Amino acid sequence: MGEEISQLVDGELEAAQLERVCARLGDGKALEVWVAYHLIGDALRQSASVAPGFHERFSERLAAEPTVLAPPRRVPRPQFVPWAVAASVAAVAVVGWIGLREIPAPPLGATAQVQTAEKVSVAAVRPLQSAGYNDYLMVHQAYSPATALQGVRPYIRTVAESGQEAR
Amino acid sequence: MMRRVWWFWTGLVASGLALAEQGAAPGAAEWLQTVANAARQLNYVGTVVYQHGNRVETSRLFHLNDVQGEQERLISLEGPMREIVRSNDQVTCFYPELRVVRIEQRSARNAFPALLPQQMATLSQNYNFRQGELARVAGVEARAYVFEPKDGLRYGHQFWTDNASGLLLKARMVNDKNEVIEQFMFTDLRVGGKIERSSVRPSIGRLPPDWKVLKVSPAVGVLQDTGWQVAYLPPGFTKIVEMFRTITGKPDPVAHLVFSDGLVAVSVFVETHKGQAHGQGLVRTGAINVYALQIDDHLITVLGETPGETVQRIAGSITRRR
Repeated sequence: MGEEISQLVDGELEAAQLERVCARLGDGKALEVWVAYHLIGDALRQSASVAPGFHERFSERLAAEPTVLAPPRRVPRPQFVPWAVAASVAAVAVVGWIGLREIPAPPLGATAQVQTAEKVSVAAVRPLQSAGYNDYLMVHQAYSPATALQGVRPYIRTVAESGQEAR
Repeated sequence: MMRRVWWFWTGLVASGLALAEQGAAPGAAEWLQTVANAARQLNYVGTVVYQHGNRVETSRLFHLNDVQGEQERLISLEGPMREIVRSNDQVTCFYPELRVVRIEQRSARNAFPALLPQQMATLSQNYNFRQGELARVAGVEARAYVFEPKDGLRYGHQFWTDNASGLLLKARMVNDKNEVIEQFMFTDLRVGGKIERSSVRPSIGRLPPDWKVLKVSPAVGVLQDTGWQVAYLPPGFTKIVEMFRTITGKPDPVAHLVFSDGLVAVSVFVETHKGQAHGQGLVRTGAINVYALQIDDHLITVLGETPGETVQRIAGSITRRR
């Protein structure tokens, strides 16, 4: 059972297995294992989300930040307690959580803010999706000496981005 | 053409004298000028590999310098078709898949190598410049040159140039952990010989009417007062231009300020933006860090080939002049 739950946490289960394992999370023991694996995963990723009082401290520090690091936003993250209450909801949420894992940015971003709050330097690194800074990047290239050594080669940067953000 | 070459060398001699007067080590600045010169003047064709993160992109590059001036074309060899064409000071990027073309007319000669003398001096104050080892790149003998930053506000730069032609074969940026964050490299290169004019022309002769044309206007003046200023700049960075630009899709002119330490540049853009802007915060793509933040009805975007902390700190110090 442990191995299957581990695979579930890592998002490695086939659809058929997924359903079966999720159904079993209704059992309190299986759910405990599932939560434990998440704790381990969070610890490995150095996510601070599991530390007691995390949310309070995070909110305090964010409020105390002198600079606007990023607009306050709700970071989607697994909510353990409600899931324990409603196992059927958990099944849906697990699928959602696996989806989230594909996009590591939101949890990483939140973590980066907490870790660097003491340094007061680097903010959350996260996708700036719709900013459309390609025009700006293109304009910028002409002014960088290191870039100008290479003629149009650095324009690949602009091109590469545009491929992702059709605008 | 000859006038341009003459202009270049006059500038070089003048800057050399300026350096001698200031007693700064001329090595780095002179080296930059020589390599920029080779990139402009020579005719060459080669395959360029661009790497950043887990991504690798391969392109073909053609460069022709003749009576019509400098013509250059880069075309992607894999993935979606991309094409970048430069004809002297105009750069055009074609994205056939998106049916988009982006055109930028540079204002002549406001770009490198027009380095200010004080920038050349600050180069040696902020980077340790040294000649590295001999190596082989693109099948030819190359010499490494290294710019090591003296603080954490800039990346390290490693360059390899062709011993025979002086052309830049490989350029690499590294972070403070010496991890490569971006690299451009020729995997094959032919210098000299005939470059067909057709090879530097866009493959799309006439633009289909349904394509979207994004234009970035030439700067009217290089030193306009935009009303915006930065309170913080890393040591050695000085303002090289300040102007307004008109950009397709942006209703109001955009303020553009550029700061450089002689090796890299950081651009500050301020646009009018009513309501909450979507993309705010820091993002990195290759060696480029972009930080966006909103101040009242203005969206401020700071970007450059520096660590994220640098663009963020600059962004945080921007104010409107009273």
